[in-house]
Amino acid sequence: MTSTSTGPQTGVTLYSFTNAWLNRKFELDGLLKEVARRGMGPNIEIIGFQNFREFPDVSDKFAEEFKVMMAEAGLNATSCAINSDRFLKPGQQPIDDATLVEYHKRQLRSAKKMGFGLVRYQFALPVELLPQIAPYAEELDIRMGVEVHAPMWAGHPAVQAYGEMYDKLNTPYLGWIPDFGGTASRIPESMLNAARAAGARESLIDKLKEVWLEPGMSHEKAGRLREWALADGHAPVHIQAASLAFFILSHNDPKSWAALVDRTIHIHGKFYGMDADGREEAIDYETILPLFRDGGFTGTLVSEWEGHAYMPDDGFEQVEAHQAMCRRIFAGG
Amino acid sequence: MLPVERIIGEEGLSASGDGLRLAMRLPWYRSLPFSIVEIEKVCIDGQSVDLSNARVEFDGAVWPLAELGEQTNAFWFVRDSAFLHIPGQTATPGSAHEVSLSMFISPPYIPGMKRANAQTETLRVA
Repeated sequence: MTSTSTGPQTGVTLYSFTNAWLNRKFELDGLLKEVARRGMGPNIEIIGFQNFREFPDVSDKFAEEFKVMMAEAGLNATSCAINSDRFLKPGQQPIDDATLVEYHKRQLRSAKKMGFGLVRYQFALPVELLPQIAPYAEELDIRMGVEVHAPMWAGHPAVQAYGEMYDKLNTPYLGWIPDFGGTASRIPESMLNAARAAGARESLIDKLKEVWLEPGMSHEKAGRLREWALADGHAPVHIQAASLAFFILSHNDPKSWAALVDRTIHIHGKFYGMDADGREEAIDYETILPLFRDGGFTGTLVSEWEGHAYMPDDGFEQVEAHQAMCRRIFAGG
Repeated sequence: MLPVERIIGEEGLSASGDGLRLAMRLPWYRSLPFSIVEIEKVCIDGQSVDLSNARVEFDGAVWPLAELGEQTNAFWFVRDSAFLHIPGQTATPGSAHEVSLSMFISPPYIPGMKRANAQTETLRVA
């Protein structure tokens, strides 16, 4: 990957197009070409377990085919999202540490082989195992960014523990990948509308908005809403639709990202919907992005539309509007 | 129904050598190991179907449904259908049947999460 620009780059994760992918509207090469045709690259992120049939162990043959696809589309393999799948048998103990470490190494090898410059990894990896994995990333020459995703944020104890381990290991191969869903200012209206369309009554929506703003752990708040809603006569299916907000969005201070700027190697520009004025409906980008722009971040922000969790849209127009907003703010507008 | 909620596959219902074959899709945004998938129930025309001898076929491999929980290193590619083979069931090719499928998935990186999915479709036997 080469770039002559010194400022933040914009790109896209194919996760934004989950609906079109699951509906088999595109094969991988067709989706890459569509992304390129719309000028959404060149830097892109791919979830290994979403778009690669052979993941976690990609063959040399497919890796070469993928590199050709990317070259033909004129795209850069910027980030590959990998997973920390510890609970392979529901209700039983997680897999042993050695297997989990090897599971990460398999995915790192595959990502490197396909030409990715970094991987997104997850807090489900116990922090004490990092010293067994970081040297392997260095050996492969591929960076690892842990995704700070709701309910996590800069002030979360797990982030603090990772920060301490990062200080100890002191390597440029480890960093942060902020996901702005952890500092949402409100619940997206599009998500509330989806709950309304599913039949949720306005009294349930009002209570959801109230509980979501309260302090506390997401699952506890979801439990509080459920208890209230059942007592108030709301149907479980409506409660489930309303509760989605607790699991993908948290209400923390947008300015808190300032603490993580220095070690940020990549960004997930999480979003749900763009309004007519070119602003995101739930996340305060006008406050967040200048922290990274002025803090010297020179990596890529990939637009990550997650409205597919409750809407059938294909995501393309939303991403175009989101990228325009990010470019405007990065340019100082 | 959102794409991520779909569990009856595009290939639908077909007659196979010893019974019926039902296409299934994984209701998640990414591939997951088969060990975290639990097929709860299949009903055809309102009748619950005996799954004790059922098998799951994916990408050339076949496992008894009862052993699905052991498949920790076989990944269900999120774009592809897996097929549930139900022995002992018969249906005339071309006939239409109401098929209900329900399954649970427990995403392996989110401790304690178990999602229930159900879908009912009228399918013509291929």
